[in-house]
Amino acid sequence: MIEVRDACFSYDGEKNVVDHVSLTLGPGERVTLLGRNGSGKSTLARLLNGSLTPTDGIVSVDGETGGLARLVGYVRQDPCNQIISPVVSDEVAFGPRNLGLTRDEVLERVDEALEACGISELRNRMTTELSGGQQQLIALAGVLAMHPRYLVLDEATSMLDQPMRRRVARIVDGLTDVGVLEISHRPALDGREVFLESGRIADQLSVFTGPSHVRPPKTQRARSRQQVLRSSGVTVLGRLHDVSLDFQGLVVLTGPSGAGKTTLARVLAGVLVPDSGSVTLDGRPVCPGDVGLAFQRPEDQLFCDTVFDDIAYGPRIQGLADPADAARGAARDLGIDEKLLDRSPFELSGGQMRRAALAGVVAPRPRAYVLDEPTAGLDAGGVDDLRSLASRLVCEGSSVVVITHDPDEWEPIAHTTVQLRDGRVERVVEHA
Amino acid sequence: MRRARVPGAYAPGDTVAHRADARSKLIALLIASVASFAAPAPWGLLLVATGLVTALVVSKTSPATVLMGLRPAALILALSVLSNAIVLVGQPGLSTDGLARGITVVCRIVLVVGFALSFSSTTAPPAIADALAALISPLRRLGVPVGSIATTASVALRFIPLTAEEADRIRCAQRARGARLDEGGPLRRLSSWGQVLVPLVVSLFRRADELASAMCDRCYLGEQTALLGPLGACDRALILLVAAWGVASLLL
Repeated sequence: MIEVRDACFSYDGEKNVVDHVSLTLGPGERVTLLGRNGSGKSTLARLLNGSLTPTDGIVSVDGETGGLARLVGYVRQDPCNQIISPVVSDEVAFGPRNLGLTRDEVLERVDEALEACGISELRNRMTTELSGGQQQLIALAGVLAMHPRYLVLDEATSMLDQPMRRRVARIVDGLTDVGVLEISHRPALDGREVFLESGRIADQLSVFTGPSHVRPPKTQRARSRQQVLRSSGVTVLGRLHDVSLDFQGLVVLTGPSGAGKTTLARVLAGVLVPDSGSVTLDGRPVCPGDVGLAFQRPEDQLFCDTVFDDIAYGPRIQGLADPADAARGAARDLGIDEKLLDRSPFELSGGQMRRAALAGVVAPRPRAYVLDEPTAGLDAGGVDDLRSLASRLVCEGSSVVVITHDPDEWEPIAHTTVQLRDGRVERVVEHA
Repeated sequence: MRRARVPGAYAPGDTVAHRADARSKLIALLIASVASFAAPAPWGLLLVATGLVTALVVSKTSPATVLMGLRPAALILALSVLSNAIVLVGQPGLSTDGLARGITVVCRIVLVVGFALSFSSTTAPPAIADALAALISPLRRLGVPVGSIATTASVALRFIPLTAEEADRIRCAQRARGARLDEGGPLRRLSSWGQVLVPLVVSLFRRADELASAMCDRCYLGEQTALLGPLGACDRALILLVAAWGVASLLL
């Protein structure tokens, strides 16, 4: 049993990020931890595996208060942040090798964990050349090989497509005697739900699920005003084959992993030069900076010392009249707290980081946007905010391309849905 | 995303060189390096060169890779040949003796680089670290933290491609937001690297922190179970063969 009694944690010694939380997780139990971005979910989770020590209160696992990492496995949202070794089998062996096991036991555990995750065929591959989904399975295998009694999944599936999510869910379901705490933005299918609000356990979340309030930016007449982002015969060897499309209004771009969505995003934004074909915005060839590109991983996009500087980077470099004002406006649009502007973007929680990255894209007010998985890691409020922002941008005359694994989230307000498969356009659906 | 290909980076494969144990390959590399520098010219050196040809063939490393690996040092190598060949004191002019000496030294360096690249392109970084740990393990009795040294080596090896990747990422992020990094004269382009450098250093420290905390999550404390089993007969034979070849090249 994981027992958290009256635990507090504070990074700066002033404000408690986790505030007098009490929580239990029994063997084999399933608990889903829900809460808004920045509510302290990951901090609480890190208390459970001992990587953070509570400033007040007690965390004990099966009666022990030390060496918790041995008992509680931790899988993070982003596989890039947790993969240690460049070779798959070595990565999975890393944990067991630290447990004082013999060589044969370690090798046995590696086989067993790879088998359990259904990725035995990947054992000699390089971790860097695998897809995000495969990397996440390897991260899970690396944790399972340590035979943890409890498992913490910190939004472990939010960056994966639906088939991969189901696959991870099946693997976790198979661990019947392991207690699992999953941090998520989706309500739990089974097991108990725990809500966290500003670091405290809440009975129910004030704003959480429920239907979206965003009204679609419809009317065909308005649509003719938007910039046309046109790709003609775009080919990137091995990734995209002859993609010719007009993106106008709000377009949802979807398709299975490896379909070439991210490659197309980079080409559309002018960051990646295609091997053949061209991209134009309103008839002129696209240069980097003309199209706002939000990267799939917000970490990939942030590089300045403070959130404010990062948001203001685009407006400054493009010579806007008042970059500071543009940056503040964008921060407000994305619901970023004034207090966060002076912090380093990398100190933020996953969802807050996503908002900061998106604000940086919106700040210079480009005439077209490509948003790659913009809602991964955002809470329901954040998703709503982002949808209304996208609607507003479209109404103002920009075209917005949203790449997503969850087309349901966007289709109610989209003009068009484009489906890619194996680098080709499979289907284009116009919404009424 | 396109990755920058570093010459000599590990390329997975299934050649004889890939299958050989990392420890025997590391010992072979040591012997080959000593032989490259100590073998007398020209016959000893020629024998070492045949060894390099064999190594390149069994590891399927192309000679072009070796030349790529030498490119950063090309200027210095050319200068050293020239400075050996040109005589300024006494009777100024070209000295054939000096030229021969310079060329010999360059040949030795080419040999060492060739051996090192055929080793590194067929041995996965964690295996290199494990082999290193196995070779220095006798030092454990003297209180040397062998496990930590091996992990440090492994992490250092991992950060080489990561640095290239991270620089790429930051440039891409800056270009996506309108920075013109590839335009203008050489001076302007050089100074544009300046705005990449600061975030690069900061972000490498951050990646190092993240890696450390991921290692803590997986209970890393410094000592790990060694994954390498006892050396097989083939690998022992390989070491003996290489040792014999090394001695022969020194005696020629």
